Amino acid sequence: MVDTDVVICGGGLAGLSLAVQIKARTPDARVVVLERTRRPLPEATHKVGESSVELASHYYGEVLGLKSMIEEQHLFKNGLRFHVGDGRGPLEDRAEIGPAEFPIAPSYQLDRGRFENRLRELCEERGVDLREGVLVRKLQIAGGEAPHRIVYRSDEGETTIQTRWLVDASGRARLILKELDLRRPSPNRQSAAWFRVKGRIKVDELVPASADAWHKRDVDDTRWLSTVHLMGRGYWVWLIPLASGYTSVGVVADHRHHRFSDFHKPERFDAWLAEHEPVLHARLHDGRDGVSGVLGGAEDFGVRPDYSYLCERMISPDRWACVGEAAAFVDPLYSLGGDFLAMSNCYAARAIDDDLRDRHDPAAIEELNAVWVQLAQDAARTLSRNGAMFAHGDIFGAKLWWDFFNYWAFMTTHFVQRIWEQDAATLRRFRRLQDRFYLLNHRAQSLLEAWAELEPRAHGNTKPFVGLPSFPSVLLDQHEAILKPLDPEATFAKLEADYVTGRALVSEILWHALRALGPERAAEFGRLAGLDPTWDLDLDPARVSADALPRRQRRDALGRVARDMERALGRLPTDTPLAELLERALGVCESTFTPSETSPSRVVGA
Amino acid sequence: MADLSNEQIHEKVVEILSDSFELDPASIQPESTLYEELDLDSIDAVDIFVQLRDITGRRPDPEKAKEIRTVAELCAFVRAELVAAERGEPEPETPLPAQ
Repeated sequence: MVDTDVVICGGGLAGLSLAVQIKARTPDARVVVLERTRRPLPEATHKVGESSVELASHYYGEVLGLKSMIEEQHLFKNGLRFHVGDGRGPLEDRAEIGPAEFPIAPSYQLDRGRFENRLRELCEERGVDLREGVLVRKLQIAGGEAPHRIVYRSDEGETTIQTRWLVDASGRARLILKELDLRRPSPNRQSAAWFRVKGRIKVDELVPASADAWHKRDVDDTRWLSTVHLMGRGYWVWLIPLASGYTSVGVVADHRHHRFSDFHKPERFDAWLAEHEPVLHARLHDGRDGVSGVLGGAEDFGVRPDYSYLCERMISPDRWACVGEAAAFVDPLYSLGGDFLAMSNCYAARAIDDDLRDRHDPAAIEELNAVWVQLAQDAARTLSRNGAMFAHGDIFGAKLWWDFFNYWAFMTTHFVQRIWEQDAATLRRFRRLQDRFYLLNHRAQSLLEAWAELEPRAHGNTKPFVGLPSFPSVLLDQHEAILKPLDPEATFAKLEADYVTGRALVSEILWHALRALGPERAAEFGRLAGLDPTWDLDLDPARVSADALPRRQRRDALGRVARDMERALGRLPTDTPLAELLERALGVCESTFTPSETSPSRVVGA
Repeated sequence: MADLSNEQIHEKVVEILSDSFELDPASIQPESTLYEELDLDSIDAVDIFVQLRDITGRRPDPEKAKEIRTVAELCAFVRAELVAAERGEPEPETPLPAQ
């Protein structure tokens, strides 16, 4: 006998938003949420993970219907902004990569405590049975039609509850994955530390007023509303403004370049910042606007060593699901945590709705699981072993162009066009497209890694400012498409066209890398990247010969993607024709490269 | 920036055009036409106006920008934008959502 339809273990962002979603979609569903903490939560310093990007913002705003509440109580976000280069030098000398205008598709900076307090109220308004101050002790996960059993402890003692659906929203505790041994390691090896300070730290304050052109670029004075990333070799530092008047500050560092023990405590973090980001460090200590240092003035100092993990399964036909960080956590660089939360919640809400309406569909659940698990693996591939690129504007700019294109193509489109609502056969058809994007991304990342490994210049900003997206460009078109509803057929056609554009984009990365590395390093580059003539790239002889044409003819002969990439990222001069560089990279020509002490980057098989 | 002389504005414009489109600075004369003689296209034009924002600190009015045909007109446009910035005239649009 079951006591309820759904038990959600954990009432954080994932669990609460899923409960709200289920009650909106399946009003008769009986939903119980078991949560350890009690209200009220501290508004600004409750949890880290404030920055949301387009997919998650679409989820909170459109799918959950919370748009007006969020827009009243939280901050609009001016995209992701990266300052790439030498952390010890002036900030205005670093390459700036970010939106030139406020992005069209909205995204938000969330005060997590404020947001979750509101979600708890919403749960109660919508009839969710929210049990606060309880601790889950034991799960008995059943197969087939049998109910799951959950034992929890509260002030009244131990209680057992039986449920048709079990959802794990316990965050890193990962109750289900531990119980079933479905946790999997991530190739991403990085650690993070963070804190919140009262007051606003605007990135503009880190640049002297005399840097006129730098300040003028920000026509609307909205740079500070971005999630600001200060990028240096092997690390990045975030600055996130919060509506409550606080600023979230954190560091993420690659184990290959920085030791976690150099920033895992407030005093060490402070010393680490003084060494690597002295301009920000000075601002944290200057006492202006009530901002007062890492030591003493900081609140809620937190750390997450070796934070990344994956899983083998997110949702099961046996009527359980893991949502948010109870399934996987990939990396904070692109603020994707909310996206994976959104996708897992939607997949779970859909499967629960199907089941409670007597349409339980194990084949569709298997497809959804495969989509999700592969997207997490794909993101882990994208966000691992990037440390060497973080300080290099040309390489990181090329990476951002590709990563954002790729993100707005398959993953965002699949979500916002609600492909996850489709039947198993349609899902499978889209998954074949996903496989193609996955392989293309693997190749793009391999090219970028090999480029970073061999790049002789420590920093590079051929363009001091790179629009992300720049206007007009294929990247901007991709961003705007988020807001345009399409049916599944039109979505499929769009993604097929996106794949062709993506292939051209990855090919341009190859040309940019070859120009930067020159003939002496081309062969080693090809070898490290695993470059092969069978790769599905645009190695069209017409593109290669177009490169040698004089100015206007060259431009007319280049495709739109090539021109957009060059306008955004600039073009390094080369005396060697592209055809020869390519031949060397493919191993057709003898290499003149002498192996140095640089360690070859490991390339994971796709 | 508002105290830029007409010569300085011309120099800036020539610098942007020659750097962005690999043009010989000597070929860029006040009477040169952007689209015919200098071979620019509409995407290049957008590029120019995005870069001009760094000088003027203002978002250009696309309607006015469309009218520009020569280097001299482009310089006059920059001058007008600088004057408008000095007077604090409102910009053509504010894409920032109301908060």
